[in-house]
Amino acid sequence: MSSVATLVAQNVTPGRGAYNFGFLDETTKREVRRALLKAVALPGHQIPFGSREMPVARGWGTGGIQVTLSILGPDDTVKVIDQGADEGVNAWNIRRLVTDTSGVPTTTDSREATIIQTRHRIPETPLRDGQVLVFQVPMPEPLRMVEPSERKTRAMHAQADYSRAWVYLYEDVVRRGEISHATGYPVMVAGRYLLSPSPIPRWDVPKLNMADGLYLFGAGREKRVYAIPPHTEVVPIDFEDYPFYVESFPDRKCQKCGAEAVYMNEVVLDDGRHAFTCSDSGYCDSRLTGGVE
Amino acid sequence: MNSPWVLRVDGLGKRYGRGCGLCSKNTGPLAGANSCANCGSILACTNVSFDLLPGETLGIVGESGSGKSTVLRCLFLDEEPTWGSAYLSGFHRGERDIFTASPPERRELRAATMGLAYQNPGAGLNLHITAGGNIAERLLNVRVRSVAEIRDRAGYLLRRTEVPHDRMDDIPAHFSGGMQQRVQLAKVMANNPSVLLLDELTTGLDVSVQAGVLDLVRELQEQLHIAMVVVSHDLGVIRLLAGRTMVMKDGQVVESGLTDQVLEDPHHPYTQLLVASMT
Repeated sequence: MSSVATLVAQNVTPGRGAYNFGFLDETTKREVRRALLKAVALPGHQIPFGSREMPVARGWGTGGIQVTLSILGPDDTVKVIDQGADEGVNAWNIRRLVTDTSGVPTTTDSREATIIQTRHRIPETPLRDGQVLVFQVPMPEPLRMVEPSERKTRAMHAQADYSRAWVYLYEDVVRRGEISHATGYPVMVAGRYLLSPSPIPRWDVPKLNMADGLYLFGAGREKRVYAIPPHTEVVPIDFEDYPFYVESFPDRKCQKCGAEAVYMNEVVLDDGRHAFTCSDSGYCDSRLTGGVE
Repeated sequence: MNSPWVLRVDGLGKRYGRGCGLCSKNTGPLAGANSCANCGSILACTNVSFDLLPGETLGIVGESGSGKSTVLRCLFLDEEPTWGSAYLSGFHRGERDIFTASPPERRELRAATMGLAYQNPGAGLNLHITAGGNIAERLLNVRVRSVAEIRDRAGYLLRRTEVPHDRMDDIPAHFSGGMQQRVQLAKVMANNPSVLLLDELTTGLDVSVQAGVLDLVRELQEQLHIAMVVVSHDLGVIRLLAGRTMVMKDGQVVESGLTDQVLEDPHHPYTQLLVASMT
């Protein structure tokens, strides 16, 4: 029997309908997992992988979906968020794809999930040991803004030649009087590789440093995965006199749960007034139902 | 060991193409060509050797295509030479050939030890980031991480090169050619290189701007005692800047000596032609 046929025969945990467990075939999952192992071994280094056609268009989280489905097992519990919200269209569709093809339970409480797939946010509750956060990454290359050539950016990574990323920040300071880079703030991982943390707000960047959980990044269109393993030093790049800082929400409270010092969404109410709510809807909900400070 | 020179070049040569047994016979000033008639390879320069002493300026003069710029590009590690070696007193105390440097060492050499001002300012500058940002790139390369420090240094350098201070935050694409050239000089000077390589610095500039740029280079010579290699096809520039001069033709050095000597008493027919055409 060929190895593929062996794998198919050994597939004792069928998904629903005609699909393999977790939609992807086993060899694809193994290839993605191999790339992920490499990514974990080289924190922050981008690893190419054979990104597959998925039943959503590229640019809608196909990289994250492939990572999630490749590491998914029958005992996992999955949470999917889009800009912090479990109710986003993108989150709904991805969650449905995962459950329809694997049957694993889903949750909106980040504490209960073993795998959290996210678009552009990190949950407010810190990851614990054993949890995996999977990012959907549109643009994995942090140097693309200063260097259009892939060949050259690879050489720059190989030689840790990142001075031009700082030039970009310098230009920002000159033009706007501050570092205005708002999302996907470039960070140095383990003192070696410059990494784009996907378009998360600055608010979430410090959560990458010395975390208890594992961060995996998947870029489907760009065919790259990378990782920040637990307890890895992650430092945003900045200047001594223009240090990195996070967004602040002075005197803002969540209209729903009353939380302060969380990342907020500004919403316009029916009467035209502005209000703020938690961006992390799962966190907000669990505060309302009790159990979270 | 303390070397008396800051830069020693030994047998430098660059061939484009695969080469053949007849290349050396088919090229050079005697053959009157730099491309081999047999295999089509181009020998841009061959067997170039010289020592550059501290504070000294060496001129390289020659017609277009004589290999002057190739020598500079090889020394600045833009090109991989086919033959030869070069030593900098600041690199492993002059004991290691710079062409064997690792990529990070090369970056260090290019950022801090040497500076090359290109003939075309667009090659040495990023025209779409500010003049200050261009200088910042150099400083960031040697791990300066303070905006205030960068702006101090950039301001000083632009003042030295007579670029108006209020243009520091403009992009060089909006500057005149002469001003771009002066910004490039400021960038090249950013980390106080021990060797400055100037490639046709004044070519294409109008005469009054030329004079300004040349004055500036002379000032740098006198005040900072930087060793320089000045490449030009303009004997006037060479006479003004260089104490010693090498004349190149078809990829080879045909004559060298003190600049006055070479210009007053040229031996090689090509040099004689060059000097004669000046007056």
